[in-house]
Amino acid sequence: MEGMEKIHLLMVDDEVKFLQTITERLKLKFFDITSATNGKEAIAAAEKGRFDVAVIDLQMPGIDGVQVLEILKKNHKYLEVLILSGHATIETAVTCTKLGAFKVLEKPCDFDKLVEAIKEAYETRLKKKFEHDEIRIKQIQALALGQSPLGILKELAKMDEAEK
Amino acid sequence: MNDALNDMNAESLKFFGKVNASISHELKNILAIISETAGFLNDLTELAKQGKELKLSLLENCSNSIAEEIQRGFTTIKQMNRFSHSVDVAVMDVDLLDILDLMIGLTGFLSFAGKVRIEDKDQKFETITTCPFLLQNLLYRILCFAYECAGPEGEIRLRLSPEKDKGILLRFINSGQMPVEKFPDEKIKQTADLLGVEFKKNNSFYELNMLIPYTCDKIKDVEKNQ
Repeated sequence: MEGMEKIHLLMVDDEVKFLQTITERLKLKFFDITSATNGKEAIAAAEKGRFDVAVIDLQMPGIDGVQVLEILKKNHKYLEVLILSGHATIETAVTCTKLGAFKVLEKPCDFDKLVEAIKEAYETRLKKKFEHDEIRIKQIQALALGQSPLGILKELAKMDEAEK
Repeated sequence: MNDALNDMNAESLKFFGKVNASISHELKNILAIISETAGFLNDLTELAKQGKELKLSLLENCSNSIAEEIQRGFTTIKQMNRFSHSVDVAVMDVDLLDILDLMIGLTGFLSFAGKVRIEDKDQKFETITTCPFLLQNLLYRILCFAYECAGPEGEIRLRLSPEKDKGILLRFINSGQMPVEKFPDEKIKQTADLLGVEFKKNNSFYELNMLIPYTCDKIKDVEKNQ
């Protein structure tokens, strides 16, 4: 991954030692990482930064992983979320998948598998974003035909509003 | 009494399962830390082979971390062992402080668990004749209720005092309010009733008092039905 654009990763886990160690390891794999030890911090970090992928633990004090997943997916359209938990059951996996989780991994997880899953999630994000941009470019091209500059701007504002 | 016992048995199984699930989660967390730390040591070794400087402090941190997690694992397994053996004998003489200590340890694995402190831990009390498993169940549920009331940053203090010829008065003093309308729920009431535990009224929303008897007749029924 050296030489490539770094993947911006948000790691969320209340097990501080686990979070520190895995963050160090992922840094060596050239990820750009921000870590959070609870749901509240994670949501605040996601508001401030631009992340490609988030890796979230399920059981945390306060706002739990399922709630964090729901909020992040609602507020950050292209953010892909991986769940990494020692508490994952079939039921929680189904819930998380329905809420838009990219994958649910069980802790302890093989590090290479985690890295692979993060890369897959990143590629999915890029693909979704590319497809969205492509549609948008086509919409803009269609708008440009026969519209005044002011009309184009108004239509673009409407499109932006619809995407919120 | 039999219906109550059947309900209690089903609840007891649920409780046993719940506690074991939380222990397995704790052990998974410990193994995850050991696994990642060992992986990190491998990463550092690979980097050193490529000629990058290897910081000794990092190695030291990693080995300390592994040692600490192994110790945490031993403690968890000891608690699991103590808990598993609590069903060996239906009724026996127990040290309330011992049971409280174990329940504080086991509830500590829950994500919403806050701080708990037993005041005057060095006091000596008479043993109580009870069903240890049901008493654990009761204290576990009350601690969970108290954690939820205290919130993630809260603290619960436990104060114990002997009541002559009656039992031990256990007071939960919480930094958060414990709404009276939510306590005790049906399950807590049922378990407390079987154990002869009496909830004492007090005027504070921050305090919950219970008298755990030295012995009670209902416990003898539990023993017969086992």
